[in-house]
Formats: sequence, C-alpha cells, structure tokens
Amino acid sequence: MYYFDELIIAEIRKKNEVALQELYKTHYPMIVHLICSNNGTEQEAKDIYQDAMIAFYERVHQPDFVLTCKIKTYIYAVSWRLWLKRLTHKKRYDGNFEVAESFLRVEEEMQSIEQMELDYDKMNEAMNGLGEPCQSIIRDFYVKGNSMEEISAKYNYTNADNAKNQKYKCLQRLKKLFFDGRQED
Amino acid sequence: MKLSVEEIDQLDRYASRTLDQTEKAAIEDRMQSDTTYRLLAQEHLKLIHEVKRRGERSRVLELLEGAHRDMNAQASARTTADYTANISAGTEADSVQVKQKSPKPARKFEVGYWKLSGIAASVALISVVATFAITRSLKNEQSANYKELRRNVEQIKRSQKLMMDDIAEKKVEPAPAPANYAGTSFLISSNGYLTTSYHVVRESDSIFVENEAFGNLKAKVVYQDRENDIALLKIPGFILDKSTLPYAISKKESNLAEDVFTLGYPKEDVVFGAGSISAMTGYKGNPIAYQISVPVNPGNSGGPLFNSRGDLVGIISGQQTQSSGTAFAIKSTVLLTSIDQAPDSIKTLIRPARAISQKIPTRVDQVNEWRKYVFMVRVYKEQ
Repeated sequence: MYYFDELIIAEIRKKNEVALQELYKTHYPMIVHLICSNNGTEQEAKDIYQDAMIAFYERVHQPDFVLTCKIKTYIYAVSWRLWLKRLTHKKRYDGNFEVAESFLRVEEEMQSIEQMELDYDKMNEAMNGLGEPCQSIIRDFYVKGNSMEEISAKYNYTNADNAKNQKYKCLQRLKKLFFDGRQED
Repeated sequence: MKLSVEEIDQLDRYASRTLDQTEKAAIEDRMQSDTTYRLLAQEHLKLIHEVKRRGERSRVLELLEGAHRDMNAQASARTTADYTANISAGTEADSVQVKQKSPKPARKFEVGYWKLSGIAASVALISVVATFAITRSLKNEQSANYKELRRNVEQIKRSQKLMMDDIAEKKVEPAPAPANYAGTSFLISSNGYLTTSYHVVRESDSIFVENEAFGNLKAKVVYQDRENDIALLKIPGFILDKSTLPYAISKKESNLAEDVFTLGYPKEDVVFGAGSISAMTGYKGNPIAYQISVPVNPGNSGGPLFNSRGDLVGIISGQQTQSSGTAFAIKSTVLLTSIDQAPDSIKTLIRPARAISQKIPTRVDQVNEWRKYVFMVRVYKEQ
C-alpha cells in the first residue's frame, strides 16, 4: 500500500542511520509549522518532534507494529497528540483545537506509545537507583555487548565467573527495582 | 523462585539469537510446558528488553541531534538566509514567530523530500539486486509485507451456505462442521505421507484432507519443522494401488526462469496456476525459498510447485502483500533435508516417491493425473 514508506521502514529496521536522519530532516519543517501555529515555540517543536520520532522508531521495532498510513501522517498525528498532552499539562489547552482523526488506530497507537514511555521511565529510574558498578556492568553487557571476559578485566574481577555472578546479583536488584519499584529488602 | 545464573545466561543468548536450533527449541518447549519458568523467563526477557531500549534510545537521540545540526548547517549555508537564520537562531533563542516563515518551510520540505526519495530509490535498487543474509526467526514473524496463504474459512462460510440453500433439490447431506483454516497438501509417498506448510497446521486439533479422487480422509500431523515452514501429515492406513507416484521430489535446485505450475485449493475446487521461477531466493533474500510468478491466493499454502517435467520443486508458502505477482515457495531440497531431520520412527516409514520414465504428452494430461495426489487440508481447532 505504502511501498515507498515500507522501504524506509525496512531500512530503519535494519538500523540504517542515514535513512532515519533523512526522515528526520524531511518532516521537521512540517512539525515546526504545526507547533508554532499552535502556541508553541521552535524549541518545543523540536522536543515534540524528537519524542515523536523516537516513538516511531521504537514502535517500528516492535513486532506488532503495522503501518496503517503514511509515515508523514503518523509522525504528524503522534506529534499533535503529544503536543496536546503537553498543552493540557501546561493548562493552556482549553479544548478549542480541533482533534482530527488523522489516521485510524491513532488511539491504540498512542496507548502503545504511552505504555512504552511508562516502561522507559520505570527502567530509567531503576537504572539510576541501581548505583555503581551495577549500572555500568549491566550497560556494558546488554547495551554495548561486551563479553564477560572484557567486563571482568575492566572492573578488576578475578575471572569471568566472578563477573558473571556480580552481573547476576545486579540483575536481581534491577528486576526488583523495575517490577516493584523498590530495592530488595 | 529465581532463575539460576545458567538459566539467565541461556535466556540472554536466546534474546540475542546466538543459541543453536536445539537449544532454542529446548527453551521454547520448556516455556510451553513449565508455567513458572515461562513467567520468570518472560520477566527476564522484558527486563533486558527495557535495558537495551534505554541504551538504544540515547543512541537514537544522538543520531537525531546530529541530523538536526546537519539541517541547521545546511540551512544557514544557503544564501536565502533570512528565514533560515531565524530557524537556527530560534532554536537557541526559543522564540520565533510563525508568520515570518510560514511560506518557506514548504519549500524546504520539498528539497528534503527529494533527498529521501533518492535514498528510497537506491534502497529499492539494492533490495532488487542484493541477497541479504536473514536469520531464520525473521521468517516466522508474519510481517506486514509477507502473507502466509492459509485461508480463513470463516469468511467464505456464509456465501457457501447461500449456495447450499440454492441447490434445493440436492439431498442435503449432514454438512461437516466448518473448518477454521484451509490449505493445500500433497502426497510424497505411496503409503500416505503428505507434505504441507507448517503454518497451515499449527494450532490444529484435527485435520482432514480431501480431493476428488480419494474423498474426505482424516490425517494427523507426524512432524513439524517450524524453521522451514514444513509439516508432514499421515493418512492412517492409506496405500496407493500403484507403488509409485508420478512425480519425484527434485534433489537439485531449479533454474531461474524455469516454467513451474501449482495446484491448490484457494476455493473448494482445485485451481491451476502457472508461471516461472523469478528469483532463487525468497522474501528478503531468504535462501530456503524461491520467488515465483505464479498467481496464488489464501488457501494455496502448502501446495506443490511442479516443474515442466512434473517433478516437485517447491511448496507454496506465502506471498508479498505490497506487490502483486510475487509469491514464494520453499525449495524441494529444503523439504528433503527437513525429512532427513525427522525422527527415525517417521523417516524410515516414508517411501519417497521415485520418478517414473513414462512420458506425459501435454500439460492437461499431466495436471489431470497429478491433481489426484493434491488434497485440500481442513484444519479444525477448539475455540
């Protein structure tokens, strides 16, 4: 249906950075125009736009994501919703703006995005509450993809097994923080 | 109850897809049978997913910031500078009037759009000529572009009922309960073994196969190969009069542009479709499948793909939804390997069809003979 857009999504799924950056540049003026003509500043437009792009990026990587409209429409609709939310927050949105149904399922999409935000905030809090060296170990292993040997050398553990045990303990604490929002008693 | 260090280790490798097939299957089996384990494992997978997403997000944010700087640099480099200067200044100064620049964003938008078109065009070229390595698990996700072709019978039940009502004089037989899914299947041995697609028979409770020559028969799944989207069925007590089938399973890969045809059941009657092998790889360069230009529809899944000699070269598996005329078939060589990996208890019982030398003069005669061995599959599952 949206052959061109599906190609771009395929590239983004393959982590093609140029495609993502060009997509960003392409739709930025549209969102600046949208936000600035609705009581916003360019800085706010940039924030909202980046939030929308991140939401789009992360949704694309989820298995249940299906593109039901053009990417442009998607970004526009999500940015608009995020902006309304922020205005409501600032108590400047008096319900006077027209809430256009720009694409089907935008409601579901916003729910998915909000869920992702909640999870992200929880994880952010959990990681920050974890402290060092746990936070760095977990990040080195899962995000940077370092091996246990590298980690053991970096943090001066006697061997990889010790490092692995330390990672295990960190993980248990992180799990507690993430799912229960508190440290293990 | 906690997961052990080893279990966590294994799940980490499961998530990063570095496990081999048997270990992966072992984990999935355990998740199915052991609820406590499944919940713990899912919790762990969710946790590390979120950890990774957090890391990924800061990377993406940097990318976007990079794009933003890029854009500003390009903008201020331009000579039509008033408005663009406003943009870059505005980014910092946090105060830009819309009215000043409303006519110009449109122009800028166009410029950017063409650049993006350029990328997409080159991407289109690349995806036409390149073969991408693809992890097998990708294939199992029903993506937006790839559509498996099992037919949802619910949809056509109503029209079928109308037709049944129409044929008033016909003695009303007790109608069989409507099936949940339908697909196609074909004999690979004279002693009642059939092949179809795994996705046709997954989640099945009972399976019936039917065609004109042999009527309605109960079959059961004896082997499933999810990775290759292949399933073997067996009709208990079924023996062909002749000891061989008229077609053999081709042991070597077909050639590009070779003429092929399929027989399948996208509706209640057998449907013939012909075309050629249009690529030696399947969806996204998947090496275990061919791309074929044969018209297929939901219900064709699991159907045989024959070459002009009548030998089996593939199994219809799916189609690309965005472009018409692009379908995919699992290669017969993959089928043979898959059968080879089946447990001995099954493998030794299958007597794979041998080619016969008999010449079939025309395709019409060929199809008339071949269609006897192609069945409609009806899959029932408890609601």
